[in-house]
Amino acid sequence: MANFVNLEVFSNYQKYIDNEQEIRENIRIKVREIEQFVKEATIQLQAIHSDLSKIDSACQAARKQIASCAGVYKQLSEIIPHGQYYRYSDHWTYITQRLVFLIAMVVYLEAGFLVKRETVAEMLGLQVSHTQGFHLDIEDYLMGILQMASELSRFATNSVTMGDYDRPLNISHFMANLNSGFRLLNLKNDGLRKRFDALKYDVKKIEEVVYDISIRGLRNETPQPTAENAVSNETTSAEAKSD
Amino acid sequence: MSQNSRSRHNNRRNQQKHKSDRDTNYGEELNPVVKVFQEYALELDDKHDRYERIVKLSRDITIEAKRIIFLLHTIDGRKNNRSKVLEEAEQRLTKVIEVNFKSIALELTGQDPYQYRCSYSPGLQEFIEAYSFMEYYKNGADEMSGTMSDWMVLQQKMQYERDDKLNTIKDDSQKSIDSPNEVDIENDIKTVPQKFEFIVDPTEYILGIADLTGELMRRCINSLGSGETDVCLETCKVLQQLYSGYISLNVQRSRELSRKIYTMRQSVLKAENVCYNVKVRGGEAAKWGAVFENKMNDDLDEGFY
Repeated sequence: MANFVNLEVFSNYQKYIDNEQEIRENIRIKVREIEQFVKEATIQLQAIHSDLSKIDSACQAARKQIASCAGVYKQLSEIIPHGQYYRYSDHWTYITQRLVFLIAMVVYLEAGFLVKRETVAEMLGLQVSHTQGFHLDIEDYLMGILQMASELSRFATNSVTMGDYDRPLNISHFMANLNSGFRLLNLKNDGLRKRFDALKYDVKKIEEVVYDISIRGLRNETPQPTAENAVSNETTSAEAKSD
Repeated sequence: MSQNSRSRHNNRRNQQKHKSDRDTNYGEELNPVVKVFQEYALELDDKHDRYERIVKLSRDITIEAKRIIFLLHTIDGRKNNRSKVLEEAEQRLTKVIEVNFKSIALELTGQDPYQYRCSYSPGLQEFIEAYSFMEYYKNGADEMSGTMSDWMVLQQKMQYERDDKLNTIKDDSQKSIDSPNEVDIENDIKTVPQKFEFIVDPTEYILGIADLTGELMRRCINSLGSGETDVCLETCKVLQQLYSGYISLNVQRSRELSRKIYTMRQSVLKAENVCYNVKVRGGEAAKWGAVFENKMNDDLDEGFY
């Protein structure tokens, strides 16, 4: 009984875990590369909050950065052994969510609809189903979409400030669709659920912006920087802040 | 029975969902967002349901493993019941492998096992604890120089073959030992639906063995109560060896393991203290020392102090 303990088990496990650490180290390097591209793209997209005329160029610049990520994802997928995606996925879930957010934002700004999961996967060179290989997790996609909702509510207030009164209505309609879509999901009590709970505040904020411009009859009018507009802008942003 | 009520519940939930779909479809018949989200909902539901099913299976394994451990604790040198208890424990453990783990493996075929790791991890760890505890007894019973089996041995035991008839289990562990090509077949398990396995993750194994030390400590204390002081010394030795094995591991950022190693240290200290008391005071007095925290008993301590 005394020689029950097999110390070889521990040395074998040490080998196993060392191997895992090495893979994790390689993943971290790749994820850092993606982070750099994401950062650039995020900075480019900030332009939309200060200058509406820059939207197209900002989207193009962001697209360029996003396209660069696909190559890194390919290298990342080569590091991960087959069928072990979820063993290491915690390294890249956050950054993937961020990328989904950026792509969704760009597609909305360019075309005005919600980007599909398939399209996001295609842009990043990922698969849709885990059986096909390195894929885009559905929860990451949904998290990214929810992040976009917060950004859009910020964009709605800013576009009013910049004199575009039609855009908030557009965004509001889009968000209502998104909200009804999310309510079809049976969410577990997890991170996604928590993030979804925040969606109603974003929807509320946009509805208030729409309300503000509606009661002042500002919709469907050509933007004219009058004294009245300036006042309404102030109240809108003040209310938005107090949210 | 419980399976039925569960699926009924699911149906009800789906019906509700479909109803709400119809409600929204009145206004937005062609809303593309809603359309894609219906697909996402199905996918998420499938994932959550599978997760819950595995949690249930895992809970059954945990309960059975705990009972087997309890059974093993009834082994007593005075009663000579070792071989009988061991036989029963081994039978029940084999049953867990062939029924419960097979069901989990079935749920996980074609899935990424790491995705559902949290759902089956408690059951697996408890099972490993029970299994290694059984092996520990077996090792002493046969007077062999056998050691604890590692995760590869368990992995070998958890190979299954799909069978059309329900409840008939084919264990091809024999086959896997015979044919050296088994490893190649294992790697292609995703493409061949006939064979499947339950993947024993080495980390889960190491965590399960860490729990074993708690049982060894209990055995050490129990045998003090029954007067088998040689068992105390022997379990203490095993504990020390396991502990030195664990502290030799260099694992980064594993909170679960470091917590277990901390607890293990407490167990080792406790067992060492028992051995110390046995040595200084003799078996009988140490028993009272451990139970009543050195409370003096005039009748019993005579001749030992």
